[in-house]
Parts: sequence; structure tokens; C-alpha cells
Amino acid sequence: MPMTKTMLGRLSVLLLAIGFAALLCTGAGLVWLVETTRNFAYGVEQTQDVRLAASHVLSRLQDAETSQRGYLLTREASYLEPYYAAEEALPRDLPDLARLIAQDGGLPAPPQQLRDLARAKMEELARTIALASSGQWEAALAMVQTDSGKASMDAIRAVVAGIEERGSRRLAARSAGLDTNGRRLLIGAGAAFVLMLGVTLGAAALALRYTRELEVAQAAVVAANGSLERRVAERTEALERASDEVQRFAYIVSHDLRAPLVNVMGFTAELEAALPPLTALLDRAAAEAPALVTPEAKAAVAEDIPEAVGFIRSSTQRMDRLINAILRLSREGRRALQPEMVSLTALMEGLGASLQHQLDAAGATLQVAPGLPVVQTDRVAAEQVFGNLLDNAVKYLDPSRPGRITVRGRVAGTQAVIEVEDNGRGIDPRDHGRIFELFRRSGRQDRPGEGIGLAHVRALARRLGGDVECRSAPGLGSTFRVTLALVAPATPPPAPEELDR
Amino acid sequence: MNAAAQAVTIVMVEDDAGHARLIEKNLKRAGVFNEVRHFLDGTSALEFLVGAGRKEHRPLLVLLDLNLPDMSGFDILAKLKADPQLRAVPVIVLTTTDDEREIRRGYELGCSVYITKPVNYDTFAQAVRQLGLFLAVIQVPPGP
Repeated sequence: MPMTKTMLGRLSVLLLAIGFAALLCTGAGLVWLVETTRNFAYGVEQTQDVRLAASHVLSRLQDAETSQRGYLLTREASYLEPYYAAEEALPRDLPDLARLIAQDGGLPAPPQQLRDLARAKMEELARTIALASSGQWEAALAMVQTDSGKASMDAIRAVVAGIEERGSRRLAARSAGLDTNGRRLLIGAGAAFVLMLGVTLGAAALALRYTRELEVAQAAVVAANGSLERRVAERTEALERASDEVQRFAYIVSHDLRAPLVNVMGFTAELEAALPPLTALLDRAAAEAPALVTPEAKAAVAEDIPEAVGFIRSSTQRMDRLINAILRLSREGRRALQPEMVSLTALMEGLGASLQHQLDAAGATLQVAPGLPVVQTDRVAAEQVFGNLLDNAVKYLDPSRPGRITVRGRVAGTQAVIEVEDNGRGIDPRDHGRIFELFRRSGRQDRPGEGIGLAHVRALARRLGGDVECRSAPGLGSTFRVTLALVAPATPPPAPEELDR
Repeated sequence: MNAAAQAVTIVMVEDDAGHARLIEKNLKRAGVFNEVRHFLDGTSALEFLVGAGRKEHRPLLVLLDLNLPDMSGFDILAKLKADPQLRAVPVIVLTTTDDEREIRRGYELGCSVYITKPVNYDTFAQAVRQLGLFLAVIQVPPGP
């Protein structure tokens, strides 16, 4: 399947989207992991706080017990200071511990239990110290010796150990969760990395494939261009050959047609030359033996033969002109063009000067607009083109109004556009194409001509890399628009052997 | 060297019988009465001019048409000019072509005069007569 530019774009966007999504997932996972870790650290801190607070409570109670024992042994009131400190601190420390455990997500029962046990312990200590202070030392000692103090202390230690243990378990669970999460994230990141690698490789492969396809397509375009150029060259060559053949044909035909014409004219002249002796003979016969001269014979010699000779002559002369026209066109087609810089303004002025006599005779004016283009063209051909157009303009003026012929021009792209406008009799729209054909004329045939000029103009304009067209309205005037290549194509002169036949 | 032996023979190479006849008639009208050998094609003309059994040292004048059925008049002209004995023979190219390149080529190959056959008979006759006058200058008049 060939890849189009749109397809490449869509696939690239898709791959980019996949890569971006993977990156986003990895990022989100990382954020989540960081958050979890932070929570874990907070949890660890809380658990530590709980343990610290618990051991604090325990140590307060132990201090209190130790202080009671010291007092009972020494009977020194100073030993009771830690006890009083504990008595004062515990009502603060125990609720603190309960709050911390609640914050840490621990059960509410153990701190409650610890609080009850601590209260019981403190009451027990308070009782013995009260007995001792009232001087009943034995009774106080006896209370201590019941080992109830040790038992209550052991229960307190067990509760604190339980709190500590539960804290450690929560910590371990959190740590395990963190570990799992980290592993999961690692796997996810690995997967995302693999995905992104795949996407990158895919995009690279895509680009590579597209580039290859582009290269292939480009090679195909180059090959197509080459074959196109070859075909154009072939066609051009074929056209040139065809054109050459037409030129040769015209040349040979016109040439060979002249040979029989020479005979027709020559022997017509011989006939004419034979007429005077015959006329003389007839005159003599009319004088000497009038009976011999029939009216038919007289008519034949005096009228029929001269008339026939006259028609033969005028027809052959006309045919000669036509053949010469074809010959001239063919020769013009074979003439090598020699492009040179030609100022059309100067060229028009020269043509105008040579036409001045006809212009004056017709009472017409020729106006050449200033600033006509300067073109690189064959001067002779250009002179013939515009000479013919100006000749026609003068020739076909309308006698009912003063003739006005205007020449103007401009450059359009690679062409010079020159317009020769007149206010003459105009040309019927039906004939606008026909007038450029050989031997075709338009309108009243009251002016001399063979219908060659415009055919010649068109052939020349086309050889100069341009063309000619006509816009005209009968009774208003005509405009002939000539386009010429700013740089006319140079043609090599025909090879000499072309003339052999 | 008598006059008859020195009389110039006109060799006319012309494939069109009508043209040949018109040329002969007009030469006679112009007072040129030399022997005219007429050849209708290039091969027979070359046979006569440069072929085996040709006579040596004849004074000749060649009237040459360029458009011959079997070869170009230029071929005959080139052969004449390449022949040491015939090189000096005047050659008058008389043809319908008035292409200036052909005319130039004719002169380059050594033709003496290049005359275009005009279709207008008067001009044609005029040209042939002038040619006759030209020939009359270089020829010895025919013997009695």
C-alpha cells in the first residue's frame, strides 16, 4: 500500500499520542509513588511517636513505682519526687498517647486499657504512700509484698508491648505496600519505556518507509519527465519533418508547375506570332478573291483566336502569380531567421515613411504610439509582417471618412503584443479566420491582390514565435493583433543538399 | 582550321520538349543558326559530352536545364568542370528556378550564365534572344 502524506501525518500523530500517553502514565505513577512514600514516611513518624509516647508512659509508671519503693525503703520523702512528677504528667501523657494511636490508625482499646491499668497502678501507689505517710509502714510494705504491684506493672508492660508490636506491624505492612508499589511502578515504567521505544522505532520505520516511497516516486517522476521530454522532442522532430515536407512539397509543386506554364505561354505567343501572316493572307484573299473569305474564317482570325489567346494569357499570368506566391511563402519558410535587436518603433516609422505616398493619396494618417517594445527578432520578417498589415490598412480604408491608422504595443510576459488598428471598411466576422488562409480574400473584390498577404503575415508571425488575430466590425474598422516572442527562436539555414532533388 | 570545323555546337540538355522547341525557335529568330544537339536526359547528354568515343577539341556550348528526370543539372555541370578538356566550355544554366541559393550554387560550380526561364513568354523570348546575341559574338557564322 503506498503511503500518502496524510497517512504519514496521521500515523505519526497516533504514535506520538501513544508515546505521550505512556509518558503521562509513567509520570502519574511516579507522582503517586512519591505521594505514597511521603505518606509512608509520615506513618513511620507517627508510629515512632506512638512508640515513644508509650515507652514514655511506661517509664513514668516505672519511675513512679521505683520512687514508691525507694520511699518505703528509705522513708525519705525526697524519693517521692519522680512519683509526683509521674502523677502530674500521666493525666497529660495518657490522652496524648490515645490521640497518637488514633491518628496512627490503631485500635482504641489498648490505650483505654493502658489508661485503666495506669490509673489502677497510680491508685495502688497512692494508697501505699498514704499508708506510709501516716506512719503505717508495715501495712504499706505488706501491700507491696502482695506482688499485686508487680502484676499490675507486668500487665502495663504487656499492653505497651502490644501497642509497640501493632505499630511495628503497621510499619511493616506499609513498607511492604511501598515495596510492591515501587516494583509495580518499575514494571510500569519499564513497559512505558518499551512502548516508547517501540513508538520511536515505529515512527523511524514509518519515516524511513515514507522516505523510500518518496524516493521511488521521485525516481518515477524523473523517469516520467525524461520520457516526456523525449516524447516532446520526438513530436517536435516529427512536426519539423512534416513542416519541412510541406515546404518541400510547396517548393517542388510550384517549381514543377512553372515548366508546363512556360510551354503554354510560349506556344500561345507562337500562336500570336502566327496571327499576322494569317491576317495578311486573309486580307489579300478578301481583296483578290472575296469569295474565298467566309465570315467564319474572318471571325476566327479577327476575333476568336485573339480572344482565346487573351484569356489564355491572363489566366496563365494569374497562375504564375499564384505559383510565385506559393514559392515565395515556401522560400520564406525555408529562410533562416537571424534574430537581432529590433526597435519596433523605429521599424514602424520606417514603414510609415515608405507608405507616406499612399497615405497622402488616401488622405489618411498613421499614428505610431511611443514606446513600442524592443524585441530580438528577424528584422526582415518583422518588416514583412507589419508592412503587409499597414499596406492592407491603407488599401482597405473607407472613403467616406478620413483614414486613421494607429499602431500601439506593449510587453505581456514573454511576448510583445502589437496592434494595428484602422477605421477602414472592416471585415465580416465570418471571414476573420478565413482571411489568413492562402488565396482567400474578404469583402468587395475591388482592390488588386491575390489573397497572399495575411497568409504570409500569419506564417511569419508563427515562425517568430507568435501569432496574429483579427478583430473587426464591418463599417467600423479592423484591429490586427500581432504577438511576437520577445526573443525569437533562431533557425539554422537548411542544409545545401536539401536543394538537390 | 576551317570555319565549319570551328562552328560551335550547342548542346541543349532539356527534358521538356516544348521548352527545347521554344528555345530553338527563338535562337533562330535571334539569328543563331548553329547546330543544336538536343538531349532529353542527363545520361545521354553525359554520354555525348564525356563518354567514350567523344570527339576531341570540339568547340561546344552547353545549355543546361537543372531539373532533369535522371539527375540534377548540377551533376552535369560538376562533371564538365572536372573534365580538363571541357572545363573551358561555357555553360548556360537555363531553368525555371530562381532560388538565389540555387543560382549561387550554379555560379559556384562554374556556370557562365544563369538564366531563369520566365513564364511570361515575351520575357522568355527576350532572354533567349539576348542569349543568341551573346552566342553570336562568340561563334563563327555558319558557312554558305
